Amino acid sequence: MKILEINNVSKIYNESEVQVNAVNGVTLDFQEAEFAAIVGPSGSGKTTLLNLIGGLDNPTSGEIIIDGTNLSKLKSSELIDFRMRNIGFVFQAYNLIPVLTAKENVEFIMNLQKWSKKDRDERTFELLKAVGLFDRANSRPTKLSGGQQQRIAVARALASRPKFVLADEPTANLDSKSASTLLEIMEKLNHEEKITFIFSTHDARVVKMAHRVITLEDGKVVSDDIRE
Amino acid sequence: MIWKTAWNNVWRNKVRSLVVIASVTVGIFAGVFSIALMNGLIAQRINDALNDEISDIQINCKDFRINNDPQLVIKNSEAVLSEINSVSGVTDISERTIITGMANTASKSAGVQIIGIDPDKEKKVFTLYNKVMPGTGDYFEKDSKLNLALIGQELAKDLNIIRYSVDSSAIARLREKGLSEKLISKLDPIAGKKFSNEKQFIKEMKSLFSKAEEMKYGLLIRKEAWSFREGARMTLTFLDKDNNQVGAVFRLTGLYDMANSMFEKSSVFIKNSDLKKLIGMNEKDFHQIVVKISDVDQTDEIADKLAQKLPDLEVTTWKKISPDLAMMTDMVSQFYLIFGIIILAALAFGIINTMLMVVLERTKELGMLTAIGMNKKKVFSMIMLESVFLSLIGAVIGMIVSYILIRITGNTGINLAQAAEGFEALGYSAIVYPKISAGFFGIVTILIIITGILSSIYPAVKALKLNPVEAIRAE
Repeated sequence: MKILEINNVSKIYNESEVQVNAVNGVTLDFQEAEFAAIVGPSGSGKTTLLNLIGGLDNPTSGEIIIDGTNLSKLKSSELIDFRMRNIGFVFQAYNLIPVLTAKENVEFIMNLQKWSKKDRDERTFELLKAVGLFDRANSRPTKLSGGQQQRIAVARALASRPKFVLADEPTANLDSKSASTLLEIMEKLNHEEKITFIFSTHDARVVKMAHRVITLEDGKVVSDDIRE
Repeated sequence: MIWKTAWNNVWRNKVRSLVVIASVTVGIFAGVFSIALMNGLIAQRINDALNDEISDIQINCKDFRINNDPQLVIKNSEAVLSEINSVSGVTDISERTIITGMANTASKSAGVQIIGIDPDKEKKVFTLYNKVMPGTGDYFEKDSKLNLALIGQELAKDLNIIRYSVDSSAIARLREKGLSEKLISKLDPIAGKKFSNEKQFIKEMKSLFSKAEEMKYGLLIRKEAWSFREGARMTLTFLDKDNNQVGAVFRLTGLYDMANSMFEKSSVFIKNSDLKKLIGMNEKDFHQIVVKISDVDQTDEIADKLAQKLPDLEVTTWKKISPDLAMMTDMVSQFYLIFGIIILAALAFGIINTMLMVVLERTKELGMLTAIGMNKKKVFSMIMLESVFLSLIGAVIGMIVSYILIRITGNTGINLAQAAEGFEALGYSAIVYPKISAGFFGIVTILIIITGILSSIYPAVKALKLNPVEAIRAE
């Protein structure tokens, strides 16, 4: 089932009288439960494309349709609400809320969506178990390693069962062991929860595990390799 | 979750938060305690004025208050008194005979207002009988063939009736009160010498002691060196009803001491019967009737009723007799409002500054929160709650400290002895009993919450303007 359509999307930045085509006429579709990596050299437009898909930035032209909703038709407040309900984010620098515990970070979005306490607790413990950090539920982020923080970030991104998760260089700050563990967890969750993962990455391990690899160069899709 | 996040955020940078909380605590304490101090001063001044000086309502012949003409008497006083007593709310009344004259001793004289009273009736209206200084006599308690007069301590000083002498008993009392031998030895040059007035004594003290010593111990030494010969006399001269000058010798029955030094300097109390005899006034005529009522808040209503019953007389409330007091009570709430706004504005700038730093430091986090779906209303609420928590913690501590200190000093009083002369010249007591109503703390709490909310608006708007893409990228 198609959950995301990117139709001829471009993003042009005007930097000191020079126009930069960060994303240039990209057209892509994503299906449910895909495990896709967007790769390419620095400046190829990976992060910009991810920001556009996530509704954090507006395209200069083209349209992005998520599960039938055209993002450019949404007002700013509607877009924030749409993101909350449909898109999970995993950032390179983890970006957990430092004053909340691991459990509270995971249930933060469920709280924003006003889930009942029972449902919140069930889902939080299910995810904490899935990422292998059930015993660290009451630890604050500063007490967790980088890899553990990123696993909590993945649990947070999946908490409210979004349509897909956007992960911008999720393993960039991790050692190889932590990165492998994280990738295994994400692949498992992708399989179990049927949630699409879209990564931007330089990491060969991510590319190796991905079921689909989209290569960007100068803002354009130069290859879209779907693996069996 | 927003509440918990905001609360935890307050303690992310403990030192900075504690500095803000401490400044709010000090600001609130300073504001609340100053207002309690002013409340205490005003309450004492009004209390003294109503209970010792003017009473709640005065009744005179029309124009008597302007002209002070002794011919303007209330005739047929029995009927008038009966009309006054018939008004509900009136608790006590006292009739007075009032003339102006001169008080004289061998060395000095002073212009005074001579007030003829019935001591027993006056006791029900005024508390002056409680203000007779120990060791100076009493409040017309003893029978005497001589005319008796009760005068203020300040007038006694002006008339050189009070003297100062550092004799052996004064030295013994000073030693008892802890004055060091070194300081006592400094008094040797004036030991046994008598000073006929306070100014001379102060001048001599200044030559013997350093400024700091004089400031610290001058009042104590003056108090112990003070001497008054019981039964001292003076003459009072004034015009009788036919405008002939008359005079008589009066024995001082005692000296009174109250907070208002101007009143002490100018008011001499003698018995109605003595005064009437001297000025040839009819026994049943009076110049003034002072009225005490049960509830001071009913003053205007009762005065209106009295005015209706006594259309030929002038009925005056304490607010008209002493407009400065009325103005104080009316203006004080406005003054407190301005004072409060100044303090809260100063605190608000501190909070705004802190919250701006908070937003700047947490740019990345705020961007992330917006990215994952925290809407503007919630981001705004979180910043606002942090600001309110910061303000409220400081305010609560400040109010608790203020409450405890007001309770303590409200019982013990704060002795502003160093400024006693200045205070008493204005009618205020040097011992202040701070007081504040419980409702005032409620008002402060509401105001500080409003301050916290208002202080958060600018930083919160800054936070809302953050672009999540740029904010997440920020280092």
